[in-house]
Amino acid sequence: MTDTTVTAASQIEVDRAELDASISRFAGSNGEYYAEAFHKIHEATGVVPTSFNLAAMLLGPIWAAMRGVWGSFWGFLILEVIAWVQIGRGAWGNPGAEFLERAARQTERAAEFTERAEAARLAGEDPSRFETLAGNMARAVERNQQAAEAANAEAFSILMIGLALLLVIKLVEGFYSNVIYEKQYSRWRIDPSHVDSGVKTQRLILGILLVLAIAPLTVYKFTSASPIEMLSGFPEREVSQLVLSTDSQTIYTGVANWMDRQIDAAATAGSGAFDSITAGVRAVLDTLTLALIGTPWPVVMVVICVVAWRAAGPRVAIFTAAALAYVALLGYWEISMETVALVGAAVLICVTIGIPLGIWFGKSARAYRGAEPVLDLMQTLPAFVYLIPIIAFFGTGNPPGILATIIFGMPPVIRLTALGMRGVPDSIKEAAVAFGATRWQLLKDVEFPLALPSIMAGVNQTILMCLSMVVIISLIGGGGLGKVILEALQYAAKGPGLLGGFAILFCAMVIDRIVQGAFRRADQK
Amino acid sequence: MTEAAVKIEDVWKIFGPPGAVSEAMTAVKNEGIGKPEVLERFGCVVGVADASFAVPRGEIFCIMGLSGSGKSTLVRHVNRLIEPTAGRIEILGRDIAHMGEKELRAVRAKQIGMVFQHMALMPHRSVRDNVAYPLEIRGVSKSKRWAVSDHTLSLVDLQGYEDRLPKELSGGMQQRVGIARALASDPEILLMDEPFSALDPLIRLQLQDQFKALVAQLQKTTLFITHDLDEAIRIGHRIAIMKDGRIVQIGTPEDIVTNPADDYVREFVQGISKLKLVKAHSIMEPLEKFNGALDSAPRASSESDLDQLIDLSVGTDQPVVITEDGRDVGVVTKPRLLRGIQGGKE
Repeated sequence: MTDTTVTAASQIEVDRAELDASISRFAGSNGEYYAEAFHKIHEATGVVPTSFNLAAMLLGPIWAAMRGVWGSFWGFLILEVIAWVQIGRGAWGNPGAEFLERAARQTERAAEFTERAEAARLAGEDPSRFETLAGNMARAVERNQQAAEAANAEAFSILMIGLALLLVIKLVEGFYSNVIYEKQYSRWRIDPSHVDSGVKTQRLILGILLVLAIAPLTVYKFTSASPIEMLSGFPEREVSQLVLSTDSQTIYTGVANWMDRQIDAAATAGSGAFDSITAGVRAVLDTLTLALIGTPWPVVMVVICVVAWRAAGPRVAIFTAAALAYVALLGYWEISMETVALVGAAVLICVTIGIPLGIWFGKSARAYRGAEPVLDLMQTLPAFVYLIPIIAFFGTGNPPGILATIIFGMPPVIRLTALGMRGVPDSIKEAAVAFGATRWQLLKDVEFPLALPSIMAGVNQTILMCLSMVVIISLIGGGGLGKVILEALQYAAKGPGLLGGFAILFCAMVIDRIVQGAFRRADQK
Repeated sequence: MTEAAVKIEDVWKIFGPPGAVSEAMTAVKNEGIGKPEVLERFGCVVGVADASFAVPRGEIFCIMGLSGSGKSTLVRHVNRLIEPTAGRIEILGRDIAHMGEKELRAVRAKQIGMVFQHMALMPHRSVRDNVAYPLEIRGVSKSKRWAVSDHTLSLVDLQGYEDRLPKELSGGMQQRVGIARALASDPEILLMDEPFSALDPLIRLQLQDQFKALVAQLQKTTLFITHDLDEAIRIGHRIAIMKDGRIVQIGTPEDIVTNPADDYVREFVQGISKLKLVKAHSIMEPLEKFNGALDSAPRASSESDLDQLIDLSVGTDQPVVITEDGRDVGVVTKPRLLRGIQGGKE
């Protein structure tokens, strides 16, 4: 045992000396002031701040930058800029200018009309038409002058609001800076090497530079009646001219044309390979289409319902029958089966390529590291973006659509297969090896069966991703229900669009229910 | 003595990047540097340092040590789950290091059975198919391997559980499945990697007894790893104690308890009950030391243990006379007996 005397918690005295020294070390300059301020914060039990920081109030964001409180720096800067913009608009912005300008133009017109009325009278014609016009103009001038006055009066109130806002912001800065700074001190105690402390000149300079870069331009842009055009939009044309020193093309057109040529060249060069890929995909799709559409529809319906029953139970079977009835009664049967064939072909190809890849990535960490960015790209790249190169390389129609679907749908099955493979306990693998298993036996008897639940989850995800994608491929000439929706969209046909939408929904739900039910049953075994 | 079933000679295992390992090995051999120094200079971890022993057929050889002492690493050299950095390993007279992959697999499948601390049963296969797996790997027909599997399961008292999944069984039963699986291919050698560590104390005791009887009956050479000296003493014919990858002492349980090789072993042995370990011949005094009539004194054989001597001694004031082949050879007085219980303290 150590010799520490034990004191009851209620009798413990607060010892400030060490704490104060640590606060001084944290604050650097003005250490004593902050020790005192933090002391007050530590003592306080209410929510109202009890200390006031004059430097923080006066300097605002610059104080925060100097002290390295970057969160407060941005908060203070943005709030103060908002206040300054209001003050600027009120003080030297000219809100009535537009109205006055209009009034001046209208006065001119009124004078013109009066002149013409005079001329008409002199010529012995009826001047009443011009007089009426002149009168109307004069009234319009009056209205605009009133509006200008009102706007100018409003300017005063905007100025007042701006000033009030600034005052409030400054007070908040003064009262809450120490509270925020104290929190930073607590963080600094935990991680002194990564949390800013003290006052540093370079931070001060950075803060001033940022304030100078942000505040004046912003305030100018919002308060000036006609700010210079450069500030409203990026002058890309001018920059292009400067860089390329030619008027005929911009950076954009140059790069876009170059990419056009490259893609065309690649498409021509690899046309044999691309054509054979298309042919392969088409073969899979044709087989499935033949099975689903070529087979008499009652047979297909019965088979689907029975599969639903066997795989997922009677309730899903009844739902499936109802969904099929909806699709058939509305005349969507053939086109729905085309959608199912598209999804089926995409999923089949995803699984046959994805599972072996996943097994490889699960076994080789290096391969997985290499593939991970590609998988991320496949999943995050918006589908619309890679539809374009797919058109360039594979043309339009169903097979390219399936390829686009595969790109979108394959990552989950790869990822989850790899995850499942890595999750197989080493001890079981070791046991199999210890009993003399070959690598193939290890894979077939241990790794694959144990990874199977994860692989199945991946297949399910892939199916759902493919379903959502199969609608989008109608944009590149893919068939199925997506086409129905696209046409409805083009003609803003509400009824057909909704009916088609429900048909897709039912197809997706039926497939999802059946697959999930099947997996759940497999899991329970 | 018969030929050794498992023979380990000067085996070293150093873990680390390949280049550093060979450098570290040379340094260790030439300069004799220690484990911490190897880690510091080469970034390599010494798993096993200069281990040598031979296990004759039919012996239960316990390897005892705390976690990180290299005992699991050492035993994995026997079926080459781990390749040694240096040294020679012989299984039934054959050098395992020079076997081709196919030959090695055949040895693993036929000659060596292994039981693991965490059972390592395949959760998707029935108990029967788990036990039959080593035979399945060898391509034995289904009817044959089911018959063998059912027989081995009966050896560990698991009849009636053949068609269950492992997760439906308790921990103790699962480990019995593990033992049955190791026995299924009727191997010459059993490797037991802390098989009972994860079980409740009571179940552990039961399984220890059951296992000891089973192995005695089947005459298997066994390498038994444990971190529990009690278990090692209960089960082992001989015990090797490991520390930091090195074998500190090899001996019978009695040897180790009565003659610990160093302070490390002594500390372990301290808490061990000597009642069943210390035999009469190791604490008896010559007959001459006791002057008095011994005719009515109780008699015990020189192989009887302290427990039996206490039973005899309780009913009389006289010392116990120790006999060998019917002759009186020594006496054990009460003070001697009490000191014996303490572990031979003088």
